[in-house]
Amino acid sequence: MRSVALVGLALKARGRRLAVLAAFAAVFVAAAIAVRLLTGGAHGHVELDPLFLTGGYPLVSALLLLGWVLGRFPLIATLVLVAGLVSDDRARGYARIYAVRPTSPILVYGVRLLVLLAAAFALSAILLPTFDLIMLGEWAGPATLVLILAYVLVYGGLTAFLSVWTRADAWITLLLAVTALVWDALRSAGRLATAPPGIIEVVTFLLPPQRALFALESAFAQVQPIPWEAFAHAAGYGLLWLILAGVALMNRET
Amino acid sequence: MHACRDAMIELESVSKRYGPPRRGGTQALNGVSLRIPRGGLHAVVGPNGAGKTTLFAIVLGFLRPTSGKAMVDGMDPRDYARRRGAAYMPEQFRLPGSWTVLETLRGLAALEGVRGTERERRVHTAIRRLGLEREATKRLAALSHGLLQRVGLAQALLAERELVVLDEPTEGLDPLWRIRFRGLVEEFARAGRTVLLASHELSEVERLADRVVLLERGRVRETFEVRPATARLRYRIELAMPAAALLETFPDAAPDGGSDVAYYVEVDDAAELSRRLAALLAEGGIVAAVQPAPEPLEERVRRALAEGPQ
Repeated sequence: MRSVALVGLALKARGRRLAVLAAFAAVFVAAAIAVRLLTGGAHGHVELDPLFLTGGYPLVSALLLLGWVLGRFPLIATLVLVAGLVSDDRARGYARIYAVRPTSPILVYGVRLLVLLAAAFALSAILLPTFDLIMLGEWAGPATLVLILAYVLVYGGLTAFLSVWTRADAWITLLLAVTALVWDALRSAGRLATAPPGIIEVVTFLLPPQRALFALESAFAQVQPIPWEAFAHAAGYGLLWLILAGVALMNRET
Repeated sequence: MHACRDAMIELESVSKRYGPPRRGGTQALNGVSLRIPRGGLHAVVGPNGAGKTTLFAIVLGFLRPTSGKAMVDGMDPRDYARRRGAAYMPEQFRLPGSWTVLETLRGLAALEGVRGTERERRVHTAIRRLGLEREATKRLAALSHGLLQRVGLAQALLAERELVVLDEPTEGLDPLWRIRFRGLVEEFARAGRTVLLASHELSEVERLADRVVLLERGRVRETFEVRPATARLRYRIELAMPAAALLETFPDAAPDGGSDVAYYVEVDDAAELSRRLAALLAEGGIVAAVQPAPEPLEERVRRALAEGPQ
């Protein structure tokens, strides 16, 4: 496996980003520990009433915001690590150094993407359960890992595809993620009823599958069985972009 | 286009444009047709922006021609690079700065398909040949431009590829390493590999290359042999004192700078030179020195550029 030799180098090249993500994760853990120490009672988890008494609405809001951002950590980690996967190499001329070697670019970038997605998954899979354990005194089981995997596949695939074309890959993915959130909210509220036929379906198909991700999040939050259909939808979306990224990579100029 | 077995690289009316014309796109290559035979050292020279790097990018399959056709060893250039690989040294060698020299070479050797002890042998041979022993564990970000260029050359030595493409390889190298570089390139050519070299250093090209392609504004202005077997012989004749008889015996003589005693002359062979010199002496000319003086490549390039498009 020629490209496996680049696994360590791929991680080393992303060393600074990994360090930033680890520091970012440490902030969450530190905040959780602080809240637990301040308000954790005899029940083994953080209670909102003492938190409100300690810091009022601002502290409760801060905790809720922290929880919401934490739920997006897999997205953030994926974007930070995968950003520029191909486009940076193209812009800096690294891609040409690899391209003259008799190894398929799909292997070179595929293995690297796999390593980076695994790193994003691992970081999230450590942080989210740790946070849950500190805040709730328990972890939600494999549902957390399935949710993280869905996020990593959806946004890793999309960013990888965009990276073949543009250096703004991560920013466009973020924009699409936010658009998907808004789009899904509008759909759920029935505000798109007057849209021309077909438009809703096409846009919903192209945007990240927010509804599926939301279904996974809800199941995780309400400790319900994992909705595997939603996971399959999310994973399929990510894999589709990965396949398209491979096709584009083989045909795009270096 | 029918691939010729003796040709390593064939370009037929290759044009390359960056960006659409209505947005002021650049025409980097314009109808370039070239046939580069297998083996030997072929230099591509020309002013900045002539299209040298674009030409190499097409030969290595990085870019596709906007029109025309390119083939390497009878294959699409991209297929050739992916199947057979090529040794390539870009104008500015760069890889992530956090990698050490050793890690970089090991990683690239692995992509060449070299494993285990053979990989280590090749990596350490390349390090030794480029004098990078002391830098082996240093990060690329810590290296000077000249050292980075040497790492770039080292990575081109990792596999013995038939096609070697060197784009301004001596840029940033000190004089000692320029000399050593010439030795390496001559080795490539001696081993029967086809070497493509772009350089602004015409004296270097003159020492190394068998053939020169002169590009200007994306077009081939001229292709010439550096040491043509059939060219007329050129000599510098120095007289003891000015003599009008010289211009009678050598009507095409060109003065060396503003001198009225030193001239460059061209003859078909040594016999013709002897005959004319005898005539000059008979007319009372006093010859102080006669030296072979092949026309410098720089002069030929300057003349070709001054003559305008063919």
